[in-house]
Amino acid sequence: MNKTLLVLRHEVITILTRPSFLFAMFGIPLIGAAIFFIASQLNKTNPSQNVLTQLISNPQAVAAEGYVDQSGIIKEIPSFVQRGTLISYPDEASASQALANGQISGYYIIAPDYIQTGKITAVRKNFNPIASAGQGAALEQVLRVNLLGGNTQLANLLNGPTNMDLQSLSQAPQREESNLLTFFLPYAVTMLFYFIILSSASLLLSSVTKEKQNRVIEILMVSVTPRQLLTGKIAGLGLVGLIQTIAWVGTGRLLLAQSSILFNLSSAFQLPASFLIWGLIFFLLGYAVYASLMAGLGALVPNMREASQATILVIFPLIIPIFLLSVLINDSNGILAIILSLIPFTSPVTMMLRLSAASVPLWQIILSAVLLAATAMLVIRSVARMFHAQSLLSGQPFTRKLFFDALLGRA
Amino acid sequence: MRKFWLIVTHEYSRHVFRRRFILPLLSVPLMIIFTIVLVIVVIMINSVPTPIGYIDQSGILANPIPQPAVKWPERTVPMQAYPDEASAKADLQAGKIQAYFVISADYLQSGKAKEIYLKEPKGMAIQQFEAFLSTNLLASQPPEIVTRIQDGSVITVQSADKNREASEAQIVNLILPIVAGVLFIVGMMTSSGYLMQAVAEEKENRTMEIMVTSVSPTQLMSGKVIADIAVGVTQLVVWSLFVILGLLIGKNFVPQLSGFQISGEVVGTLAIVMIPAFVMISGLMAAVGATVTEASEGQQVMGLFTIPIWIPYFFIGTFIENPNSPLAIALSLFPLTAPMTISMRIGFTAIPTWQLVLSAILLVLSAIGAVWLAGRAFRLGMLRYGQRLRWKEIFSPQRV
Repeated sequence: MNKTLLVLRHEVITILTRPSFLFAMFGIPLIGAAIFFIASQLNKTNPSQNVLTQLISNPQAVAAEGYVDQSGIIKEIPSFVQRGTLISYPDEASASQALANGQISGYYIIAPDYIQTGKITAVRKNFNPIASAGQGAALEQVLRVNLLGGNTQLANLLNGPTNMDLQSLSQAPQREESNLLTFFLPYAVTMLFYFIILSSASLLLSSVTKEKQNRVIEILMVSVTPRQLLTGKIAGLGLVGLIQTIAWVGTGRLLLAQSSILFNLSSAFQLPASFLIWGLIFFLLGYAVYASLMAGLGALVPNMREASQATILVIFPLIIPIFLLSVLINDSNGILAIILSLIPFTSPVTMMLRLSAASVPLWQIILSAVLLAATAMLVIRSVARMFHAQSLLSGQPFTRKLFFDALLGRA
Repeated sequence: MRKFWLIVTHEYSRHVFRRRFILPLLSVPLMIIFTIVLVIVVIMINSVPTPIGYIDQSGILANPIPQPAVKWPERTVPMQAYPDEASAKADLQAGKIQAYFVISADYLQSGKAKEIYLKEPKGMAIQQFEAFLSTNLLASQPPEIVTRIQDGSVITVQSADKNREASEAQIVNLILPIVAGVLFIVGMMTSSGYLMQAVAEEKENRTMEIMVTSVSPTQLMSGKVIADIAVGVTQLVVWSLFVILGLLIGKNFVPQLSGFQISGEVVGTLAIVMIPAFVMISGLMAAVGATVTEASEGQQVMGLFTIPIWIPYFFIGTFIENPNSPLAIALSLFPLTAPMTISMRIGFTAIPTWQLVLSAILLVLSAIGAVWLAGRAFRLGMLRYGQRLRWKEIFSPQRV
């Protein structure tokens, strides 16, 4: 027992004193905080004075654009168009002259057979092919009004009700579909979990392989049993991962609480305290499954390079939810999401995604956690069998068959 | 010279004629298929075919005309009339409808409407209801005007010198340069990754010591770089074949793809930017391979170059909207970010010639610099073990 603790202490100290790890632990929350700060700055109501906004927007151009109406549809310019932004020219030559003189930034030619074909040619100085850029959207609306005989009100109503009153009958707080955070909050939580589980599981792989590659393991085997080594490593690196999770999730919650003031968020975006607890449970269980698989991998591969190629075998189920991320966020209580959050290998990441996207029925959370725990126990047991002196000391090449045979206890 | 070709063919065949090479080759077509499937699934999820209810107090929906048909994979959302709010509410609670709208009596004047739901319906369902409303508002208009208003205008955009033209139907021509840019960079990164690995590996297992007894370092290095570029080109050719094949097949099913054409100007610009970029990245990677002592260490250092190359990708939204922002211009001039930024901007704006020329000059200069760096790092680091080559040593005036 004493030796297990020794291994544990050694692992924790080695990792915690590594600069790259410290950077990941404190640097990433700091970067996240910086991005949040910038985003909240951008979100403020007065964008015109913002340096950042100026940096990412086009240089100021002449807002006015011209049009040449060859079809004779436009009889009047409705009052909603700002005066002087849409100027009429009798022919293309004069419009092109005005463009060259810099009076307008572009002009539209409305084809004579516009009603039949809908053809408009836009000539733009900066060639921005997005059709509604510039005054394009305004011109379309002007055309609509004139096609409807000058009925501005009717033309406006064609875009849907002008005065819409939204009302929800359900008690649960609702998230606005249009708010960016509706998508980005689950996205960030999922990526965070993916990285935490993956990185702490990979730590285990690299520590086992490294010791195997530089033959330290031969000396270790003299005084420690493989079982002690495995337990010590899993517990030690798990502890490190836990510290990291707490640091990251804690900052995340803090930032979110801050941002609800900055962004005027409704309470639907607050992650409840139970989220933190479930987060810890799913991290620990997910870590136990993936870390022991990685340790098994580490016990079988002869060197680092083969190890990194073989990891794809193990992490593949973890990647599936990442691939389907946008589908899952869009429909976080759909069938696909429920299935993926119950299957033990995809559940740690998927369940955190669902918890951050919407409310999840309690029975699903508990069922998923129980299934995951059972899997973790099975995996740890079979990996412990893999972790014996013979495979640790041999240099035999790694194959997929070898790994699965050993996992299922056939080797 | 014979030895040079020996090295080239050895390097080339040891990467290309291997089973491991098939996976990166197939990854691109697989990703394309996967993305298409994902888009279809998202559209289907966003257009749930549960009906939307409405209570019409204004009389405009007295003889309802259904909304215009939607295109597959979007699904039609049926509209269902209710005499009063109580019955609609009951059906909403029972889950028979996803939401209901109440159109006020003075709708034509005030545009007032109420939307009641348990969970806010997806945007596509709302859009169909709005289309349904506007179809019925237009019921009394002449048919040709109705069609024109519903279909909107067909805007063709031309540049001021009339050299370039794009319309909504040719949207694929705007995206193609971006796809080409991404493919180019992925190809570039993987093949220069091979180069870095090859250099570091030969150093690690001491093959280098035997090699330099019979070939000169220059032959070895240039042979490796040429082979690496050939590997990259092989990858790119296979990928472009897949993309073009996909476009040719897709043309028959998706009308948006029909306008696809390859303009010489765009291809030329991309070539001017990408070729020096390729040489620059290869040079940098070879330099990394020569300075590190272990192959796994090289991969970490590689990240330093990979991140700036992909940075513009994160700004894709802003760059498409504002292709001439100061940030976009700055990133198209900085050599590491230029390939990605320029391939994103090129479809959406006429990049001023001075920017292209300046960017190309900077890229060529940094390519020459990177190759020089690689050569120097290689000579200094080729036979050094255990201790990493420091950047200070590479730049010091000491002769090699």
